[in-house]
Amino acid sequence: MHLSRRVTVALCCAAVAALSSTTLTQPVPAPEILVSRQLMESQHLRVGDEVSLSTHASGADPQRFRIAGQYEPTPDPMRLGAQRLEIRLHLPDLLDLSTNPVDPLDAETVDAVNVALGDEAAARDIARRVTTAIPGVFAQRTGDNERRAAPFVVLERFHLAIAIVTVLASSVFLLALMLMLVEERRATVGVLRLIGFRRSRILQHVLAEGVVIALAGAAFGIVLSVLMQGGINQFFQWRYDTALVFVRITPAVALRSVAVSVPLGVAAIFASSWSLLRGEVFALTRR
Amino acid sequence: MMRALAFAARSLFRQPGRTALGILGIAAVGALLFDMLLLSRGLVVSFRDLLDQIGFDVRVTATDSPLPGGVRLERASEAAAAIAGLPGIAEVVAMRTATGEVMRPDRKTAGAGLTGIDPGIRRPWTIISGADLDAATDPPALVVNQALMDFLGMPFGARVSVRVTCSANRESPVAAPFTLVGVAQFPFDDEAQITGVMTRTAMRRACGEQADDADMLMVASSGGTTAAVRAIRTARPDLVTVTNEQIVARVQTQGFTYFRQISAVLSTITLLFGFLLITVLLTVSVNQRLAEIAALRALGFSARRAAIDVLAQGAMLVAIGGLLALPLGYGLSLWLDQILKAMPGIPAAMHFFVFEPRALVTHAALLVVTALLASAYPMWLVARLPIATTLRNEVVG
Repeated sequence: MHLSRRVTVALCCAAVAALSSTTLTQPVPAPEILVSRQLMESQHLRVGDEVSLSTHASGADPQRFRIAGQYEPTPDPMRLGAQRLEIRLHLPDLLDLSTNPVDPLDAETVDAVNVALGDEAAARDIARRVTTAIPGVFAQRTGDNERRAAPFVVLERFHLAIAIVTVLASSVFLLALMLMLVEERRATVGVLRLIGFRRSRILQHVLAEGVVIALAGAAFGIVLSVLMQGGINQFFQWRYDTALVFVRITPAVALRSVAVSVPLGVAAIFASSWSLLRGEVFALTRR
Repeated sequence: MMRALAFAARSLFRQPGRTALGILGIAAVGALLFDMLLLSRGLVVSFRDLLDQIGFDVRVTATDSPLPGGVRLERASEAAAAIAGLPGIAEVVAMRTATGEVMRPDRKTAGAGLTGIDPGIRRPWTIISGADLDAATDPPALVVNQALMDFLGMPFGARVSVRVTCSANRESPVAAPFTLVGVAQFPFDDEAQITGVMTRTAMRRACGEQADDADMLMVASSGGTTAAVRAIRTARPDLVTVTNEQIVARVQTQGFTYFRQISAVLSTITLLFGFLLITVLLTVSVNQRLAEIAALRALGFSARRAAIDVLAQGAMLVAIGGLLALPLGYGLSLWLDQILKAMPGIPAAMHFFVFEPRALVTHAALLVVTALLASAYPMWLVARLPIATTLRNEVVG
């Protein structure tokens, strides 16, 4: 096991407000920090600048730090829209900055300890053992944070509901279109029937055409969404100033959309053609 | 105009299947559009309502963070007294939050969100049963929400042990006794949240803290929010004042932005979809009736009249579909709201889809514009129809 020596700290807005660029020169080099890109931009900071940090709203008891580098915060969907004004410090520096001198335990307290395992498959088992072996400690596998994942499960359900409504509306649209298309072919179908084509043969033809149209439509839709995903991602990444990926067309998504759209298209053609095929041949030819 | 509508109605009802499907398609699209309009401002309207219900219109904090849990305001009682004495201020209440563990007699515990609040007239909760907080109660009074009451299963007046943690880095060494006095509804509680409220003094004692800190001062103005904010800023320039409107604006631009974006995207798509649907329906319908339209033109119908007939057909489809969309959209919004409210941290009293009259007006305006745009091409086809050529083609064909 390897204990991480660095913790990520999102300082509260007050500490950020208390941050100010200074040009002091001291014989002892100031401890190094990393500053998020957003904070660097908002405060017009540069690598090598020295800044003062304080955990007090008034900016009291500041400590000097030198900016060693800039980093891009890990994209977090839960913080979409929030300005990522963050700083990363070495753990001893953070404890030194924030420890309550009255509380001797404060300097020994951290929020969490990150553990990297040699065998990731054993994570759940080790988390359980750590939780039972050390009182007051709760260990869990990184991917098991259900509360963190819950909003996305809900959003997925919401998107599914919207997709269902959209598919229903599209089906109605498709049916109306097919009805008009078939209506235009009334005479053609009548002539085919007159020259001896059986209903089943015409139905086969209609279904084959339906499959081709539905497949072409589905393929066009997938190509369109693949082309659009780059633009959508770029827009939202710009809008929220994040590296998050919002749209990703995976083979599974493409297959699912084909699996829904093709049968629907064929069913729409079949349903709209049915009345035509059942009709009397003279009625079809309007004789 | 009435004659044009009657003529258009006859044209539509001549093909009931196609017309019904067209109306159904527009109703489905319209319902989705209506829902997206409700969603675009639903959370904001709902959030503002919740804030207004609390009865305090200004919050005073140490920093510009309007949410509890950040840097605390020191010497809160002194600040509250100073602000309460300002003109245009009706009431000032200091408030701080903490987490804690509430223990049952059988030693089972439940984690709870705790609020410590100074005595005042206005309470940011509604008592459902039992009594409200009273500073004189000994051991100190504890008002809980229904979820915590269900967990405790104890009568009013019973002693409850609560281990209060005021600082993330420090835990209270021992559980402190409280008197269970009432059950309240807290406006910002979600379905699963366990909440309790006590006096701020009792919270400080339970934490073992001496400092007179508060997360915020909640201020109720008597002479308007603007005047109250101006007075507070003049008297205490070191503190930050945030009004309900500012909180709503901030949350609108940060917290709820995803739903506004998705609402804008889906509204655009549904409008585009509706536009395509109406255009295709009308265009195909016109193409199938070219000979009939040419005959009518030959009988004396003007190009304008024929174009108005197409427009009237489009308008009727959209009007009927749009009206059907309202109940359909309302029903759909209840379902979608139920799905989204399962999101953790969303107060039970908040809604994602909230009806406003302006949503209805926008819905109608967008559908009218869509109908006009969608009718433009088939109207152009009809207006430029060559009568003689069309009739000859029909006869020869």
